[in-house]
Amino acid sequence: MATNNRECLVKDSILEVKNITKEVNSPEGVLTIIKGINLSIASGDVASIVGPSGSGKTTLLAIMAGLDLPTNGSVQLLGSEITSLDEDKRSQIRGKDVGFVFQSFHLLPRLSALDNVMLPLEISGSENIEEKANDALARVGLEKRVQHFPNQLSGGEKQRVAIARAMVNSPKILFADEPTGNLDKSSSSAISDLLFSVNKTMDTTLIIVTHDLVLAEQCNTVYELSEGELIC
Amino acid sequence: MLRGISHGLRKFWSDLTSGDLLILGLSIVLAVTAISSVSFLGDRLKSSIKQQASVVLGADLSFRSASELGTQYLERAEGQALKTAETVSFLSMAIANEDNFLSSIKATTPTYPLRGNLIITDFNGQAIEHTGSPKRGYLWVEPKLVEQLSLEQNNKMTIGNKSFVVAGVLKDFPDRNVGFLAFSPTIIANINDLNGMGVIQTGSRVVYRNLFSGSEKNIRAFVENVGPVPPEIRVQKIDDVGDQLGRTLDRSTRFFNLAGLFTIIIAAISSMIAARRYAERHLLNTSLMKVFGASKNFIVASQLTQLVLMVLIATSLGLFFGYLLQSILIGVLKDLLGGDLPNASIKPVGIGFLTSFCLVFGAASPYLKLLSEVEPIRILRNDFHFKLKNNIVIYSIALLTLVVFLLLLFEDVFLVLSIIAAMIILAIILYIIGSLMVYLLSFFQSPSGIGWKLGLKNIVHRRSESVLQIVVFGLSLMFLMVLAETRTDLIDSWKETLREDTPNYFFFNIQDYELPEIKAYLDGELKKTPVFTPLIRGRLLSVQSKSGELAESGEMIDRESNLTWYDALPDNNQVIEGSWWGNKKDEKTEVSVDSGIAASMDLSIGDQLNFAAGGTSFTATVSSFREVTWESFAPNFFFVLSPKLGRDLPQSYITSVQMPSDNKQINKGFVERFPTVTSVDLNAALQQIRSIIGSASLAVQYIFILALVAGILTLIASIFSSADQRKRESAILHTLGAKRSKIFQSVASEFLVLGLLSGLTAVLAATLFSGFLSTQVFDLSYSPNLLILGLGFLVGVLSISIAGTLAIRKTIYTSPVITLRNS
Repeated sequence: MATNNRECLVKDSILEVKNITKEVNSPEGVLTIIKGINLSIASGDVASIVGPSGSGKTTLLAIMAGLDLPTNGSVQLLGSEITSLDEDKRSQIRGKDVGFVFQSFHLLPRLSALDNVMLPLEISGSENIEEKANDALARVGLEKRVQHFPNQLSGGEKQRVAIARAMVNSPKILFADEPTGNLDKSSSSAISDLLFSVNKTMDTTLIIVTHDLVLAEQCNTVYELSEGELIC
Repeated sequence: MLRGISHGLRKFWSDLTSGDLLILGLSIVLAVTAISSVSFLGDRLKSSIKQQASVVLGADLSFRSASELGTQYLERAEGQALKTAETVSFLSMAIANEDNFLSSIKATTPTYPLRGNLIITDFNGQAIEHTGSPKRGYLWVEPKLVEQLSLEQNNKMTIGNKSFVVAGVLKDFPDRNVGFLAFSPTIIANINDLNGMGVIQTGSRVVYRNLFSGSEKNIRAFVENVGPVPPEIRVQKIDDVGDQLGRTLDRSTRFFNLAGLFTIIIAAISSMIAARRYAERHLLNTSLMKVFGASKNFIVASQLTQLVLMVLIATSLGLFFGYLLQSILIGVLKDLLGGDLPNASIKPVGIGFLTSFCLVFGAASPYLKLLSEVEPIRILRNDFHFKLKNNIVIYSIALLTLVVFLLLLFEDVFLVLSIIAAMIILAIILYIIGSLMVYLLSFFQSPSGIGWKLGLKNIVHRRSESVLQIVVFGLSLMFLMVLAETRTDLIDSWKETLREDTPNYFFFNIQDYELPEIKAYLDGELKKTPVFTPLIRGRLLSVQSKSGELAESGEMIDRESNLTWYDALPDNNQVIEGSWWGNKKDEKTEVSVDSGIAASMDLSIGDQLNFAAGGTSFTATVSSFREVTWESFAPNFFFVLSPKLGRDLPQSYITSVQMPSDNKQINKGFVERFPTVTSVDLNAALQQIRSIIGSASLAVQYIFILALVAGILTLIASIFSSADQRKRESAILHTLGAKRSKIFQSVASEFLVLGLLSGLTAVLAATLFSGFLSTQVFDLSYSPNLLILGLGFLVGVLSISIAGTLAIRKTIYTSPVITLRNS
């Protein structure tokens, strides 16, 4: 991999990031988290973003998913320039076409696995939500744990519920922030396999932030961040 | 929006049972219970007071004069759809069975009374049918006269020149006599028999009354239509009726209002805490929903739906409990109210809903706004805390909502604004003292034990949280201590009138020459000599101010007044402005005036009052204003002359004594020995008042308990608001190797110290606040009740320590893995 910051562009992109910079205020003054990032992701691709802690991976992921806004630059996601949209419109795009998996799972503790998976369906106003949620849990191998609460599930099971939740609306693109970060080796492997199978069976574009190089090597494209700059 | 509502409905039950909405809901139930019970009660009381006042007047409106009123007002009133009646009252000797007794004769028209009950029975106690006056030639007499003159059914009785037949016993009638007519038993006669009696001559002391009743609107229209009446006619409306009963009721009402106000404020505090906890616990939910595509409208609709549902349920429950409580209070206050109350209007229901909506949306809407605007990026940063600057805005909005709401709800603007202002000032004082105490704690070296060290360190490290808890605990404890002190002072002041040695007999018309013998008799029979107070019949002619302005009309002027003179100030009087004559009593021509009358007459120290008494006229300079304890049942006077002025005026004497209830012979012997002295038996009235005060005290206790429950709920809410964080910390300490007993010690010591700090600040604040309330709102004197303050402090410290420790206890004995997993 080269070490200079270059544009990494592809054709038929589902996601295009143009000259993204993110700065924040801190007690030490203005801090640049990421600077001048340019990349694009093809539809159906599995891409990983790697780099040491503090390199700006999660920040970049958040901007690409429309969860945060850059200081400069633009992001085109699924044909819309999301950086110029307000939060409600970005929410709308996320609800329809974007899935998200977190390192800390973020399952709602007072909802069962089934209820957690039903949440995005309720938000989007789908029909047959219970049936769809059950299907999603079955696809991740948790058909026997649908009524369990998060505190009754192992780490791996929780992450599978999270993946089911992220996929239940059949999104076109799935963002995963350190999906195996809190898991042991065996669970990590199972989760990785699950994510890749989602890509294969549903043609969902995958973008994974990870510092797990084994996981990164399984991706089609790897982007490396170092001190806020991209190295293709 | 609709999807948001549907989502809110689906999630309502799980949020309620998880406890997030539960404490908020309970706060609302308590607040609505308090305010609706007070409001239901007040609503019915107000209607009843108007009814009772009408009963006291025997009408809705009365014109009263010492000279004939004619028929002009009656005719005009009948033309305006009002009912009318007439009474003529005077004193005369009633002669029967070769005996006689001074009686108060009330000649009435058949339409009397317009309000209240006139109950006549035969001599066997059987009720008889009647109109407002007996047939011509017949009389109805009070039981006391039956006893006095040994009357039987159809006995003959002579009044003046006319002979009558005693047809019935007067069991009950409204518009009980006042003034000179008050002490003699009443006889009701037909107004058409007046001329036949021939008693009323030129110069006779007679009270002529025209009575009117009708709707409020018609009464008002009539009064406006009549316009100003001649000065010799006194117009009495039901609003003007006030007496011992009214004052007790007035203070009760003020206490109920105060307790209701405190309960709402305490409930508002617990609502704020519960709303904050609800919002913090929903930050994750909300961020996640935004990640999955929920719009701001969806989130707001979902949260609002849950809150509205919760408000509807909690308010309904609160109204139900409020109605139940006021029914209990009505039962308790039966004696005070003197009968059944009219049904409550729908107004308290509206007030209940208004209370809950204002509380919830005042407390929760700022958090709702923050939640709807939360950035979903927070979920990636695991950042789920509200920042302090958000809190200040939130608390300001909540406070403003509360103030506006309370001003709308309570008609007593002074009470509301002073309470709110005091609360803000005290919260600031508590905050400063709390911060200082926490700061000083950081220098304190715990003498022993890692548990104590950890506990104290936690308080210091969680500085802002600790200070906030001190303020919340302190305010709640303070409110409860203040309410307890006020309640105790109120009940004690009432109990003053219930003392065992409260006089139950009045004797008046005692002449100078009879004094030694009467003193000897009472001394011999009662083993104590009562105080004999001179009574001078006089008339205030005019008032001249220091600047020379002369007033020859107005309240008290040109009316008969009872005057007296004292050397020394009596115990139940207190000079509040000016000075008593003291050693210069034989030089000064001064008068001391009751402060209430002085205020109504707009008097100042140094004004000149011109009196006529005993055939002479004289001028007295106003030298002091007195606060008089009218409830003491000792003779009390609006005007007290200096000895130099009063000593030589024609006067009789008056006294009040406490006669043993089990020995009626003493009074009988007195009456036989001193037949020219008039005696008035107050036992029945005292019994009535004792019963009333007992009822009012009990009602006050009930309302206090409600406020107490609200206060405890606030403490619990505050403790639980920080329980999650403490549970996590305990679990972490456990995993790091701390023994359970040490963790327990650290938690217990933290809450014990918080309790101590809160208790101390609360005691200080309560002392200041109680003093203000007692003196400015309840017109009572104040001295700190050390027992209540001490008990409040101890109970507060113990409650906080125990509740806090219990909240975390389960976690200490649960595996830390489970706790951390659940968190």
